[in-house]
Formats: sequence, C-alpha cells, structure tokens
Amino acid sequence: MIEGLVEAIPFFEELRFWAIVILVAFGLFFTFVSAVGVIRLPDVYSRAHTASQTDTLGAGLALAAVALALGWQNATVYTVLLLFFVFITNPTAAHAIARSAAESGITPWEKETDEEVTSDD
Amino acid sequence: MYNDGRAEGVTVAAERILVPLSETVTVRQTVGYAIRSGLERADDLECHLVVALPSDREMPEGQTEVETARSLLSRAESWAREDADSSSVTIETAVLGDEEYLFGPRDFVGTFSEYADDHDIDRVVLDPEYEPGATAGLLQPIERELEAVGLPYEEAPVERPARHEQLIGDGTQQFDRLFAMFWISYGFYLVLGDPTYWFDLVTGAAVAGIVAVALANVTFTFPLGRVRSPVRTVRFGLYVPYLLFEIIKANLAISIVILRPSMPIDPKLTRVNAHVRSGLPLLALANSITLTPGTLTIRADDQRLVVHSLIASARDDLFDGALERAVRFVFHGRESAAIASPRERGDAEIIGGDEL
Repeated sequence: MIEGLVEAIPFFEELRFWAIVILVAFGLFFTFVSAVGVIRLPDVYSRAHTASQTDTLGAGLALAAVALALGWQNATVYTVLLLFFVFITNPTAAHAIARSAAESGITPWEKETDEEVTSDD
Repeated sequence: MYNDGRAEGVTVAAERILVPLSETVTVRQTVGYAIRSGLERADDLECHLVVALPSDREMPEGQTEVETARSLLSRAESWAREDADSSSVTIETAVLGDEEYLFGPRDFVGTFSEYADDHDIDRVVLDPEYEPGATAGLLQPIERELEAVGLPYEEAPVERPARHEQLIGDGTQQFDRLFAMFWISYGFYLVLGDPTYWFDLVTGAAVAGIVAVALANVTFTFPLGRVRSPVRTVRFGLYVPYLLFEIIKANLAISIVILRPSMPIDPKLTRVNAHVRSGLPLLALANSITLTPGTLTIRADDQRLVVHSLIASARDDLFDGALERAVRFVFHGRESAAIASPRERGDAEIIGGDEL
C-alpha cells in the first residue's frame, strides 16, 4: 500500500506540473484575448466588457496556478482570498467606467443597420 | 366628485393628506402630527392612512404582510379618531401595492402618486423613520422621488429615542449581530494568521472583539435571522461555482467573437427590470451581470438596470434571467427562484443609445 503511494508520487508531481503549465497558458491566452479585444472593439462600453476578462479568467487562472504551485500552505489561502477580492472589485470598476461614460453622454456604438448600408451604396 | 357638496358648506376647502405608515417607533407620533397639522390648515380634514406592501399577495410572504398591514391600519385609525376628537375628520385606510411587487423607492412613490391622483391628495406626511418592507434607509430616496413627481411632502417632526438606542434594537438582535461580526472577523484574522499559534489566537480575539463592537451595527443594517442568515451563506456557497461556470462559458463565447477576423459583435443597450430587492440582492445581481463578460451594468436605477450587451447570445442569457433566478435562490430560497424570465414578464427591452 505504502509502496504503491511512493511510486505514485512522481506521477502526481508530474501531473501537478502540467496542470500548472496548462493553467498559466490559459490565463495568458485570456489575457491576450482581452488585450486584442481592447484594441479591436469600437467603443468604451464594449472595451469594458473585454477588460473584465483579464480580471476574471486571466487573473483567475494565473492565481489558480500559483495556488497549485505553492501547494498546501498558508500563502495558498492568500491567493484564494486575492481572487475573491478581484471578483468583487472588478465589476465595481467596470461599472464605474461604464457609468461615468454614460454620464459624460457617450452614446454606445451600434452596428449599422441594413438600411443605412444600402443608402450608402 | 363626492367632495363637491361638502366644499360648498365649509368656507375653507378640505385638506386631504396621505400618510404612509409602517411599523416604526414614531408611527404613533406621525399620525398625531398629521391630524394636528391638517386641522391647523383647514377645518375639514380628510386623512388617508395607507400601508404599501412590498410583496405580491400571491406570494407566501404576501399573506402575512397583508394581515400585519390591516392590524397596523386599524390601530392607526383609532389613534387618528382619538386625536381628531370632535373635529370633522374623515379617515380612509387602504392597503396599497398588494397586486404587484414594489421594490425600490420609485415603485413606492409611483403607487402613492397614483393613489394621490385618484383621491385628490394635497400633501404627504412622512414618518421620518418610514421603512416599507424590510429595507432600511428608503426615506431619502422616497423624498427625492416625491419631489420628482411633484407631490408636496412633509416630514413629521417627531421626538424619538436617540439614533444610537434605535440601532441597538432589542437585546437578542444586538447579540446576534455582535456574535456574527465577532466570528467573521476572528475567522478572517486566523485565516491570515496562524490558527495554532497562541499569540494569534489571543490578539485575534481582541481585534475581533473591537471590530464587532465598533462595526456590527454598520455591517448589518438589517435584522439577522438565526436560521436564515447561515442558510443564505450556504446557498451563496452553492451560487459561486454556478457563477464561475457562467463566467467561463461567457468568456469563451466572447473570446471566439473577438478573435474571429470578421468580429461579429452586435452591441445593444438593454433595460431589464430585475425582480430582486434593493440592497445586497440587487448588488449581487448587478455585480454578477457585470462579472460575466458580454453583459455590463451601466446603470442600476433602483431595479431598472441598464445593461450593455456585446453579443446576441449574452443578451439572450440576460433576458432568460438565469442569474436573476440564482440570486433569488440565494436570498429567498428555492420557491421564489421559480419566476418567469424577464422576457416573459415583459421586463426586458432593447433601448436606443440616446435613452441613457
């Protein structure tokens, strides 16, 4: 029984290593997508959508990787708490930006309707 | 109109006042002031005592609310008769809003102004402690809304026990708050510290004690239920994984849209009337909506949420109201989660950008 566990440990270590790599990779991917979105999207409102992606999944997955890498110790709890605070403050910030944009009278960008497109032609 | 005949007989026109009541320490004084001030202004007074109910009569909590409202009204009526003495005072009582859900201050004022129009009300006398439903601190927004609809109002000058004593409420409530606050802060302290080290245990207890005494009344502005509050916390624990799942789903959908070269986005402003109460439930819903990419709360004007949606599928999810149901589940339990979606209720619409 105990021998079996000892044999299994390198396997779990390996698994943990790859899990960390995958989490970091996905975290980076979503952060990248969010950066692309900020550049490509047309106005402040739609950019606020994608900016929150960095916080939710980008930071979320990266912090999950950190927690996994640290293993079972006190600092792991801190990363979970950190994630919790990010999840509370992110929508607050996004809402504040969108709201102040609305207060400044910025009208949201909308897809041109078909009528307008045909009249342009 | 039924007043016409009487107005001819009396030189001073009848004064008609509306007094919204709720179960407060100052409700007795408010009724007294309403009658007294009304009689000073005119010889003939018509006093409408009303109780506005937050819930629907159909809902389980609605029935008991109607009964408490009736008993408050009958007590208030006898107080008013006592104060009116022999003067000519007509007293009308009514239960308002039992046909529909009233959530924010705007809903309450809407009901009042409808009633005021029907009965030719001259002014509203407000109880300074007025608290319809369980929501605290509605008075100022209600006054703002009354101003907006152009209904004259007045706060009854009442003598009341100092604010401090009022917050304390009865003993057990205060104990519950202190107890909850103490263990929450103690738990947090030990999570950050080391729960096996005696020094952290002692300093944690001291800090938690100070925090509990100083902040219990600030943190919990609503009465805690010994069973309900822990149950809510547990249900919130169930809500978090569900929310995470929704966030991941929405993130993938948005990522695909952004990375596609044609970028098929279709941003639209929408208005959704949420059926959750003001305060914490509304905060939870608005934050969850913003947290899922693709929907972004721009305004939370009472229950009227203005939400910007980036793609059609996110908009459909919003109109299907899954998050709203989940928030209702967290705060009110499974039965109240089973409500029609905003789309079915007609509470969801796409609005133009100029309506911000």
